[in-house]
Amino acid sequence: MILSIDGVPYDLFGQLIDQGDMPNLASLVSQCGLRMMRSVQPTVSCVAWSSYMTGANPGKHGIYGFIDRRPGTFDLMFPNASTRTAEDLWSILSRVDKRVFGMNVPTSYPPRAVNGIMIGGFLAPSLEKVAYPASVGEYLKSIDYQIDSDAALARRDKRAMLGNLNETLDRRMEAMFHFLHMENWDFFHTHIMGSDRINHFLWEKMERNDPEFAPAFFAYYRRIDDYIGRLLDMLPESVPLMIFSDHGFCAIKQEVLLSRYLVESGWTSTADKLQHPLSIDPIKSRAYCLIPGRIFVNLSGREPQGIVPLKKYQETREQLVDDLMTLRDLDGQPVIRKVLKREDIYWPSGCDGVSSLSPEQIATANGTFGRAADLIAVPYDGYDLKLGLGDKVVFKRTELEGMHTYEDACLVARGIDLPDDKLEIIMLARAILEKMQLKPPADMDGSGNAFTPVYKPY
Amino acid sequence: MDRLDELESQSIYIIREAYYHYKKLAVLWSIGKDSTTLVWLCRKAFFGRIPFPALHIDTGYKFPQMYRFRDEYSKIWGMELYVSRNEEAIAAGMGPERKLDCCTALKTQGLKLAIAKYGFEALLLGIRRDEHGIRAKERYFSPRDEQFKWNYQDQPPELWDQYKNQAEEKTHIRVHPLLHWTEVDIWRYIQREQIPITELYFSKDGMRYRSIGCTTCCNPVESDASTVDEIIEELETTTTSERAGRAQDKENTYTMQKLRALGYM
Repeated sequence: MILSIDGVPYDLFGQLIDQGDMPNLASLVSQCGLRMMRSVQPTVSCVAWSSYMTGANPGKHGIYGFIDRRPGTFDLMFPNASTRTAEDLWSILSRVDKRVFGMNVPTSYPPRAVNGIMIGGFLAPSLEKVAYPASVGEYLKSIDYQIDSDAALARRDKRAMLGNLNETLDRRMEAMFHFLHMENWDFFHTHIMGSDRINHFLWEKMERNDPEFAPAFFAYYRRIDDYIGRLLDMLPESVPLMIFSDHGFCAIKQEVLLSRYLVESGWTSTADKLQHPLSIDPIKSRAYCLIPGRIFVNLSGREPQGIVPLKKYQETREQLVDDLMTLRDLDGQPVIRKVLKREDIYWPSGCDGVSSLSPEQIATANGTFGRAADLIAVPYDGYDLKLGLGDKVVFKRTELEGMHTYEDACLVARGIDLPDDKLEIIMLARAILEKMQLKPPADMDGSGNAFTPVYKPY
Repeated sequence: MDRLDELESQSIYIIREAYYHYKKLAVLWSIGKDSTTLVWLCRKAFFGRIPFPALHIDTGYKFPQMYRFRDEYSKIWGMELYVSRNEEAIAAGMGPERKLDCCTALKTQGLKLAIAKYGFEALLLGIRRDEHGIRAKERYFSPRDEQFKWNYQDQPPELWDQYKNQAEEKTHIRVHPLLHWTEVDIWRYIQREQIPITELYFSKDGMRYRSIGCTTCCNPVESDASTVDEIIEELETTTTSERAGRAQDKENTYTMQKLRALGYM
């Protein structure tokens, strides 16, 4: 039994428990403990959940962000469950005839055929298309199920957003209990997305104890805790249980428009007509970037009209790293904590983790690994890396108040064995399969050296 | 009779039925492989000379290879070719940065203008059931109302090959002679009949178009198939969908709006 709560940092759960806002979670934590868990790079939900559900690093599953470049073009594509290149838990379990259920986990749309029910996550466009089998959509419609809360509303009207978040959560939990009662599932995972949204839009107000919105923020988590209580009441203690998040959160100091920075520093040249984040002039651009902090060398022979020759690949990356490390905000504070190379954190196959390859092999790698960014910029907490190709400034603030953090996702587990230290979201799939006495696929990461070594330099 | 003969004779039967019933008939020719196959079948149905016009809805954004192909073969095949463009929308700057609006203005509106101008009662279209979920619900003879609305929950039954070909006032009928063909049927037929086809379908630098429309909204797929034989071989083993290279407009628009609101665009 899994209940995942998107983007809740370790310290926030601690604070909520101390404040008495989450008594049900507190009692579970008092038995089983609350653990800190590392996320993925780049730290964004679609990548983190893909690594959770496949037990694979992004170099294998191929989900590097919410948007990507369509190979052979400078067009945008939107990676989703159908473009993922590693098998997920629901499929693995379906193969051995386990009955599985999934609801609202990011990047589970379009829903795959499983031995059970799969309800897609927040990018699903309609109830007709959200579920496998499609007939589940009829039930969801009948309870007025909301696939996702309305983020556009959140930008316009925070009060309306709160109502909308509650409504979405209530309908989702109604559906969860409905399906939970339906049969004796072998694997059951429900995901709450609203926590990520409330953190994005109200984090700062919560931190500075805004008289209206800080209490509303805590009330939302109390509501989640009520549902946790109901769930704990009906589950026998013998049922293995995990409640966890996929990344942490902190307040935004500045949104950093990295595409704009690359334009201003001469790496990227924009196309005459700006249509989307990849509207660049390829014959004048040595590098370009995608969100968040994913920087690509415009490599000859790999990118259409790429201009950087292969023998300059490594040198170009070094220059980019040097340039990015000098980026300062308007107060002169450094923005980028570290720039990782693709081979520092991703590997294409095997379970030995990262391995040493020559720059040429890295640059021209095929397949899923070959689509990774050449460099991944990791910002200091508070600097949210964005796109902004057509913007006028590099730094700005918007309605967003919170951003993702890498080191402080959190987890509470009952009845599941997990590694004692260096816990990372990529390790969970293996633990789940082992708990069910199944052998993880040979290529599954998450044990031995097959985890992200990125935490070391911090 | 082999499968291709069967497909061909049923299509020709439908084309002749349509010609018998409708004085004002045209074949919609998008220059793609399906509608070019349909034009070929129309030629066969009437022994080489099509007794009604071909209509091309030109958005102005088609591939140059398509315009060349259209002009060359409409001449060789002695076709009466009508080209309809929504000049007003093009002049007003309508373009693909507004995807849904662009298709509506340049394709749907372009077709409405042509129907109003020439007074067509019926149009032959090369759509197939296996292309897209919604097209699976189509009929061979499919009425459209004045607003072009197709009420798929209220369609004439077509049992035992009996077609309802009468339409109410202010409607036009869409006739779909290729409805029962699949993508690979089309290619096998192209191979057998040696039907000329635009070069966009054949692999160049490891990419080819599997479905073509406007330059702005079509992407090539990775493929080394550079002949009809190789395309057939590829289709027999592929698991990706035919329209994978087409911008999935509505869904992408939705995804983009969502990601923009969340600050990911």
